[in-house]
Formats: sequence, C-alpha cells, structure tokens
Amino acid sequence: MNFDTIEYKKYNELFYRYEHPSGLNCIVIPKKGYYKKYATFSTQYGSVDNEFIIPGENEPTKVPDGIAHFLEHKLFEQKDGSVMDKFAALGSKPNAFTSFNQTVYLFSCTDLFHENFKLLLNFVQNPYITDESVEREKKIIGQEINMYRDDPGWRVNFNLLKAIYKNHPVRYDIAGTIESISEITKETLYQCYKTFYHPSNMLITVVGDVDHIKVFEQVENCIQTSEKASEIKRIFPNESTDINKSYIEQNMPVSTPIFYMGFKDSNLDLEGAEILRYELATKLLLSMLMGKSSRLYEELYDKGLINSSFEMDFSLEKSYAYSMFGGESVNPEEVQDRITKEIKLLKKQGLDEDTFKRLLNASKGRFLRQLNSLENISRSFINLYFKGVTMFDYLEVYDKMKFDYITDVFDSHFDIKRMALSVVKQK
Amino acid sequence: MIDTHVEEKLCRLFEKNGIEVYNINSNRFKTNTINIFFQDNLNKDTVALNALFPSVLRRGCKGLPTIKDINLYLEKLYGAVFDCGIVKKGERQIIHFYFEYISDKYTNDSQRNFEKAFEFLMNIIFRPELKDGSFNEQYVQQEKNNLKMIVEGRTNDKIQYSMERCYELMCKEEPFGLYEYGTVEQIDEITNEKLYEHYKKKIASLPAEIFITGEIDEKEVAFIKEKLSLVERSIPQKLNSSIILKCVKDVREYEDKMDVNQAKLCMGLRTHVQPADNDYYALLVFNGLLGGGMHSKLFQNVREKAGLAYYVYSGLEKFKGLMVIASGIDINNKDTAQEIIMKQLEELRSGNITEYEYEATLKSIKTGIMSLKDSQLYVVDFYLSQLINGTHDTMETLVEKINRVTVDDIIKVADKIQLDTVYFLTSNTQESNK
Repeated sequence: MNFDTIEYKKYNELFYRYEHPSGLNCIVIPKKGYYKKYATFSTQYGSVDNEFIIPGENEPTKVPDGIAHFLEHKLFEQKDGSVMDKFAALGSKPNAFTSFNQTVYLFSCTDLFHENFKLLLNFVQNPYITDESVEREKKIIGQEINMYRDDPGWRVNFNLLKAIYKNHPVRYDIAGTIESISEITKETLYQCYKTFYHPSNMLITVVGDVDHIKVFEQVENCIQTSEKASEIKRIFPNESTDINKSYIEQNMPVSTPIFYMGFKDSNLDLEGAEILRYELATKLLLSMLMGKSSRLYEELYDKGLINSSFEMDFSLEKSYAYSMFGGESVNPEEVQDRITKEIKLLKKQGLDEDTFKRLLNASKGRFLRQLNSLENISRSFINLYFKGVTMFDYLEVYDKMKFDYITDVFDSHFDIKRMALSVVKQK
Repeated sequence: MIDTHVEEKLCRLFEKNGIEVYNINSNRFKTNTINIFFQDNLNKDTVALNALFPSVLRRGCKGLPTIKDINLYLEKLYGAVFDCGIVKKGERQIIHFYFEYISDKYTNDSQRNFEKAFEFLMNIIFRPELKDGSFNEQYVQQEKNNLKMIVEGRTNDKIQYSMERCYELMCKEEPFGLYEYGTVEQIDEITNEKLYEHYKKKIASLPAEIFITGEIDEKEVAFIKEKLSLVERSIPQKLNSSIILKCVKDVREYEDKMDVNQAKLCMGLRTHVQPADNDYYALLVFNGLLGGGMHSKLFQNVREKAGLAYYVYSGLEKFKGLMVIASGIDINNKDTAQEIIMKQLEELRSGNITEYEYEATLKSIKTGIMSLKDSQLYVVDFYLSQLINGTHDTMETLVEKINRVTVDDIIKVADKIQLDTVYFLTSNTQESNK
C-alpha cells in the first residue's frame, strides 16, 4: 500500500495521505493519547453549487436553493431504516453539516472505530431516497429554516452577504427557503448526488489515535468506484467587484442592535500557499486595525460603542471572498464612521511594523492552540484541502510573512467603496 | 510523536489561605491552562454584584491598567487567552478566571510561561486598577451598561432563552430562579463604592479552587504557594446546598409572546434525585433514553416519526435535580407535540424500553463521558462538579456505575420524576406563517 508521510517535527505533528484509484484522498492525522476518534467523509459540494454542467452533458443544470443541505439530511436514511440507529447502537455520535462549499458527514467515537468507519463509508456511498421521505423531510427542514429565521445573529450575517453580493449564490441561506425546498424532488436529489458524490470530488479525514494502515486498507476495500470522473463545471453568475448596496437593515425583537460589516474582496485567482498567505495577511490586518490591543478597539469600547461580543473574520473561496466584523452596538453607524476614519488615517500614516510582528507571533500561538482540538483540525483540513493546501502549510506561511506584503494587502482589501453594513434592530 | 501516555487524574497539591490547589497532569495538549473558581451562594442581594465585579477586574490591574495593556501582554505571551465571568451551577454562582498559554515546549525562548500566567491572574484578581481608593469609575459605569445589555439581550437566542425562562418560572420562589447576571434594576442600584466593598469582602472570604492542567514541577508549586501566602483571606464562608426535594402540587402553564416564526415548547420536571444518590446513575440513563440523542424516544417519535421538530431533546440540571424537555415546533402544533412527549415519559415509566434503546443509551453516555478527556476545560469542569456535589467519581467509575443500571432502576427513578411547568414561547399573531 502506497501512502505519504508528511512530518512537522518541531510541532510534534504529522499526517499520512493515501490516494485511492478513484481519485479519493484519505488523510490520517494521528493524535496519540486522545480518547476520541473523529472521522469525516466530505464532498466538495455546498449551497453555492446550484448551477453546473454534469460531466458528459453540454447544457447547464440549475437546481433549487438548499438542495445540498436537503441531500445531507436524506443520506442518513437507508433502505433498512435510519443509519443514525446503527451508529447509536455502536455508541457513537454521527452528524453532518453543509456549508457554502462543502457537505461533511462525520462521527466521533471512543470505541469500535472500524465498525463506525465502515458505516460512514457505506452510508455516504448508498443513497436511498423515496418520494414519501422527501415530503416528510420538507417539514423537518421547514422547522430548521424557521429556527434560523428567528436567530438575529444568523440574519445579520446573511443580510451582510446580500448587501455585498449582487448575484453570487453565497447571498442565499444554506438551507434555502420554504418555497425553494418545496420544489425539491427525489429525481433532482439523485441527480445532484451522482454529480457531486463521486469519490474524485471527495475527501476522507481521520483524526485521533488510530492505525493509519488499517484505515487506508478499509478505504481501499469499501470504496465502490475505481474510475476517476471528469471535472464538474460549476457555473457562477457574473459578479462585479462592486458591492450590491452599502446598507441593509432588518427589524427583529432584539434589545440592542446587532451589526456586521465587511469588505468585498475580488482577489480570487490565488493558488496554493498564496491563498494561506493572503488569508493570514488579511486576518492580521483586521487585528492590527481593530483587534483588542488596537487604539480603535480601546476607543470604541470606552465610548460604549462595542462590547466583548465584537469579533472579526475573513473568508476566501474560489469564487468569493469577504471580511466580516461586528457585534452588538447601540450605534452601528457611528462604529462604521470611526472604522472608516481609522482606515483613512492608517492609509496616510502607514502601518506599524512592531505591531505586525507581535500579532504575527500571537496569531501563530493561537494557531498551535487549535491543534488541541480534533474537530478544529478536521474542519480546517477539509476546508483547505479543497483549495489545494493543507492546514500545516500555515506553519511555513507564518515564518515567511513579510511586512511589505501586509502593506500591499491593506491597500487592496480595505477599500471604503467596497464596504457594507448590515444591522438588525428593534422596530 | 509524544508516546508517553500519562493517565490524567485530579491531584490535590495543597491548600493555602482557604484556596485549594489541584493539578491535572497531561502532556497531550499544545497548551496549559489555569482556572480559578470562587464559589458563592446564588442570592438575590448579591447576584448582580457578583456578575459585575469580574468584568470590572477584566478591565485593568496593577501594571496593566487598560484593556489595551492587557491584550498587548497576552499577545507577547504567544497569543495567550484570558477571560473571566460567571456560571450558575445549581444554586451556586461561580466566578471563573481562565488563562490558557502555549506550553514551553513549543515556544522559542526560555521564558517560563507558567509563572507569567499565574502572576498575571493574581494581579487581575487581587490587585485591580484603582482610583481614589475604589475601582475606576469609568470602568464601573461601562461594565454596568455592558451587563445590562447582556440581561436585555437574553431574548436574542430563543432556544436558550426559552429553557432558562422555563426554569426561572418553575423556580421563582427558589434561589435557582434567579438569572445569574441579575436584573436591570439590581444593576442600576450598584454604586462604585458598594461594588468595591462587595468585591473585597467576597474575594477574601469565598471558598476557592485553582485547577492547573499540564505538567508543573516543584519549583512552580513553590511559586504558587508563595504567591498565595501573600493574599489576605479570612476563613472561607460556608455554602448552602441546592434545594432538590420539593413536592409538586399542580402543573403550572405559562406562555410568552414574541415576534417569532417558530414556537418553543419547554417542559420543566423535578427529578427529586440528588447527585450523591444511588439513583443518580439511573437518572442519567433515563435522560439518555428520553431525549439524549438520535436513538432517544423524543428524537425518534417527535422528529423522525411525526416530523414536528428539527430539534427536540431532554437535558439535566444535575446540581438542582431538574430536567427540561425542549423543542422548536410550529406554533399550531403545541398540543400534538406535548401529547407525544408525555407519551414517551409514560413509556419509560412502564419500562417499555427496547434492548436497542438501552444499549445505545449506555454506550452513548460512555462515549460522551470519555470524550470529555480530550478537552482541558471539560476535564476541569468535570472535577469541579464533583467537588460541588461532594461526589468522588472519576470518568471511569462513573461509566462503571452507569453500566450497572438496570431497567428496574430506570422504572424506579421514572416514578420520582414529576412534570412541574410547561412553558410556551409563541408568536404575537398566533397564526401559522406557512
């Protein structure tokens, strides 16, 4: 059996990589001494993939919003009942989640790893969908959609994406709407399954104290396809570099307004470690500008304009990228005004190199901290793998990060014309 | 790879000035943690004061007078993480200080991070930033506003809020019914002077525990002893136990209305089981069977068969002997959902438990308990709970005792459990918005 071993001695970390003839990759990240074993089977298929050309066809296929998430729910149903029951009989916890770009099936267990792993490999490869079960699932997902409609944190987030994006499907809820899921049928679900659940579009990760060779052997024996598939062409609508609108507001029962704001980024042609470099630079800049040790944070906090709920992040995918920051505030417009002024000032004054060095070091420490958690390792690994990099590549990116580069990214990302504000407040 | 696998256990190091010091030795993690807990009775006169003072302490201490100074310090210490706040466990309000830092193995220099971390926490707790013999007035005012925002913002998370509200209504005549952050009125009444006096009294007299995770050596133990000997403390005050045995006369029903799309049905039950009782292990299994996962009766019947809910589960408040059944449903489905839920309770009372349900529940609880070991914070929380309850289980003994629970034990415990309160959070319009 052929596999690669990639080692990071200084940090006591390594991973093993095996490629199945179908193109499926399996990654084992051993964590000696951990009790839990955490395995995932994921496909590069999320809520944004609503228009595509099926390999072998010429015409594009357009599907209802929320279908990737709907399919995630339906895969748990098997011919002989729900696969959840089988996992439960083994004492493990199965789960799944759908994001913009991936659908991930997983379980965590402390015992009987290989029995659980077999279940995971089997159920993801064997859909069993009936008309009747599709109709019942519409009721359950309808409740899930209503739950998120009542969550102001969720709403303020998606409203910001609606403000930033004019056409890109990242602006729609992952679960779709009650109307869009009403159009979903058994046939469309199978069609999406056949397109996106080919092993060459998928990844397996196992994190925990396991025997990697046994894991790879099991994958070799359980994967039912050995042919590689041709590439799926994903179609995204044209999206200009401008934002859709600069302000969006929704009224909901909240006591203090909640706001998120962010910048649209159109730097989408990055490859390999460049992606990590750009992402890290943007995150460092967010910290330099408004992290807890910045003068802006201190000022906003002292004026009572933000509280400890204030947070920030940056997302970079193949077809979209944006930063996002916010929390609760009695006056979101004033926060926006102060942030705008600070950006203009820093563009004139220049950034501070010592602050950059200190935050780079702190950020690396916090990255290492993430390596305590099997779930975090797995999630980062999956997210980056489909972009062609591994999470451990960060370690080199940290060591090579330069101040000049940071300055360039500051000029390009923090463009006031591409900033939008989303607010949820009481009527 | 680190191959030396050390079994992590709670090890009591010493007691100094009424502060118990424990170590949980481990070398699996990239970081170490220090947790300091001060425990108090939940009481309407002090609940808001206790909630407020940690957030004022977080603003500045000797040598690091502002948030900015504190964060610069943490950033220089390889992005160490510090926070503090309060939690409610039964009828105790616990003030928690937390510090997590990269283990010396993974840093490039020879600085001893443990000592820096410990010294920092000592300064935060015992040497706050003062002005004219009291807290910084500006900090007190700002943190009062922030605390009021937390209290007023409770309704934002409807799932959490509906469960808390159910417990609150159920225990409105008991200390447990207090919201751990207090009320807006209580916060408004706090003055700087009153807060500072309260802080001084509490920090000097509340029973306290320190839990350190990671490897520490003799030199570090001596360092802790020396630092704690400098702290002025009186004999720790005695704490009350939670009231657990309370007879239910009638089921009480409450309803709140809000601008929501989905209704929340929460049912509060009294178990009459104390954590130190033998019945406690059977109660854990009962809860697992009823609503502790995908195999449970609630999930199978309310969600999978009836399609009424996306989420439905039951959970225990073990310190107070309470149980809550929570679900998110269509506003028109209250009666149907309640009926199916009550039916599941009845099934358990009559011992209608399949071999599969029984086995899956035991295994799922075992997986849950053993999984705690992979998080330093969960391990600390597990042992803190043991101390609060006066029990002496390790994760292994807990699993053993759960494995011995029989169907008869479950029926016996089911007989003790009584429905007390039904809480329904529903839409203003009372119309379905399908």
